[in-house]
Amino acid sequence: MTGLPAGLAAVAGVLLLAGAAGTVATGALFGRAGADPLERLAWGFAAGLALLAGYVPISLTLGARPGAIALFVLTALVIGMAVLFRLPALRIPAPAHERGSGASRLVRLLFLVPLSLGILLYLLRALTEPMWATDFLAIWGWKGKTIFGAGLLPAWTWRLPEFSFTHPEYPLGLPFLYAGISFVLERWDDHAMALLFPALQVATLLLVAGWLRRRGAPPPVPLAAAATLSGFEPLYAAFTTGMAEVPLSFCVLLVGTALVDALEEEAGGSRRLAMAAAGAAALKNEGIFVAAVAGVLAVAAGGRPGRVRWRAAAAALLPAVAVLAAHRVGRGSLPLRDFRFGLLLEPGFPSRLGLGLRTILAEVLIPAAPGLIAFGVLLLSGRRSTAGDRLLALTAIPLSAYALLPAFCVFGPDWLARTAFARTAAALAPLAAAGVALRLAPLLEEMRDTGYEIREEMRDTGYGIRDS
Amino acid sequence: MRARRALVLLADAFLILLLLAAPNRPRELARRIRLLSHDAARDPALRRLDGSSAAFDRRYFFFLESARRRVPPTATGVAVWMPSPSEAARNLAAYQFAPLPALLRPRELPSGWVLAVYGPERPEGWREIARVSDGALFTREP
Repeated sequence: MTGLPAGLAAVAGVLLLAGAAGTVATGALFGRAGADPLERLAWGFAAGLALLAGYVPISLTLGARPGAIALFVLTALVIGMAVLFRLPALRIPAPAHERGSGASRLVRLLFLVPLSLGILLYLLRALTEPMWATDFLAIWGWKGKTIFGAGLLPAWTWRLPEFSFTHPEYPLGLPFLYAGISFVLERWDDHAMALLFPALQVATLLLVAGWLRRRGAPPPVPLAAAATLSGFEPLYAAFTTGMAEVPLSFCVLLVGTALVDALEEEAGGSRRLAMAAAGAAALKNEGIFVAAVAGVLAVAAGGRPGRVRWRAAAAALLPAVAVLAAHRVGRGSLPLRDFRFGLLLEPGFPSRLGLGLRTILAEVLIPAAPGLIAFGVLLLSGRRSTAGDRLLALTAIPLSAYALLPAFCVFGPDWLARTAFARTAAALAPLAAAGVALRLAPLLEEMRDTGYEIREEMRDTGYGIRDS
Repeated sequence: MRARRALVLLADAFLILLLLAAPNRPRELARRIRLLSHDAARDPALRRLDGSSAAFDRRYFFFLESARRRVPPTATGVAVWMPSPSEAARNLAAYQFAPLPALLRPRELPSGWVLAVYGPERPEGWREIARVSDGALFTREP
């Protein structure tokens, strides 16, 4: 069993089983029929991945070797708990525009083509060779392979200063996930495991489409948002396969959508937010930051009762703090290797800040200017939407922080701006796409309602579009 | 105004479509498909040898993989000695030998570690335990 097809089939089997078990457990997150089916699948996949990653540290803490039996026991326990704490069955009304016409079915088909292409192209990019990015070899994959090979997390991985290049201070969620899959497969297959990344892309697209649909966005909007996102190569690239950005982008979207739901007192919103915040914090330090921003946004949310705001803030913050504490207990306090925040007080700080921002401008923003302008047009064309604007605030605050962060980098602001800004910013794309889609939804509703008027106006102004 | 807005949005959507399609160069996609079909039935090590992580020095990857297969089971770590160390070489060595700790040219060699030398150099005071592709494995003389 050394060929790629056999490896892919095995990894696909593990992911499907985990996703199925996770979907069963989503009764505690939504209640029966309390979600769009696509959205439920996405949360089910997230819950499945949490099981796959989570059973490794739990087994190690209990002194057992992780494997299929330990995973089965944990899954049975989680499903049992989910049944015990399931939410009441709530049926959400199907949006009126679900009953689509022939024309709208054609529009849907038109969006399904780029959506499918986006998924297939990422599948091709991700599977073309074993995961090869520097950060996979030196950080995420190395830790996962070490945990799997050693059957434990050896203390030398964070104690020996010679291994500081592996960033011992980073959260261990992704390495545990790699190790978790490998313990079930009983082998380390870093090529077949790349399948996890297109699967994460699909889960992200399901979440975008399902959540927008549940919120009543007119039919082309969820599909258009998913189709656009599927082709976003800066995130879904061969290079990012194996690194934490793709999983983080999924988790950040889970955090954002659950935050909006929790603030609107949707059933299970706080539970979903808690789960998503724990996942984000377990993946990357940026995830901890996003969970913290979500907590602050919850407290600052206008027009909501204090009880709701504080409950949402607690749902975002407490699980992230718990994940941080678990890492602290397991490994002790580990400083951030790349940053020194004391630089803020030094006289050279303004020039460092300037250098970082100039590098971002020259190497990321100017080359991406056409895309950013196109995105800006969509953003500004939309209508105000409380939910959409909350997602955009959750995008903008971390983005601003990423732009300032290079000034604190000990290896030089230009180095961090050049190597990390684009990909960490790209991980916010699903959140931004969902936010913009929500702002555009009312606009499309208006246009459809006044479709005849528009076509008339076009004809009168000589745009040459005929009323059909 | 509505018609103008609709046209602006349509043009914007078209621009986004073009920008999303731009990175997908047909030649690169064809190359990826060829690589995938060429490598699909091969051993995982050979697939990594074909891949980008070994591209900076494919002989070095061959050396690492060959050394990995010959490291004694009693070894507690691997020190890699090479004439021109680099970050890419360090990362690949660490990854290949995991779960054993592996370092490039460490100042000191902890007991139980083996030395993997890439190239023809043969260190004095060390006993060769295995010849590997483009190098050899050593332990300290007793």
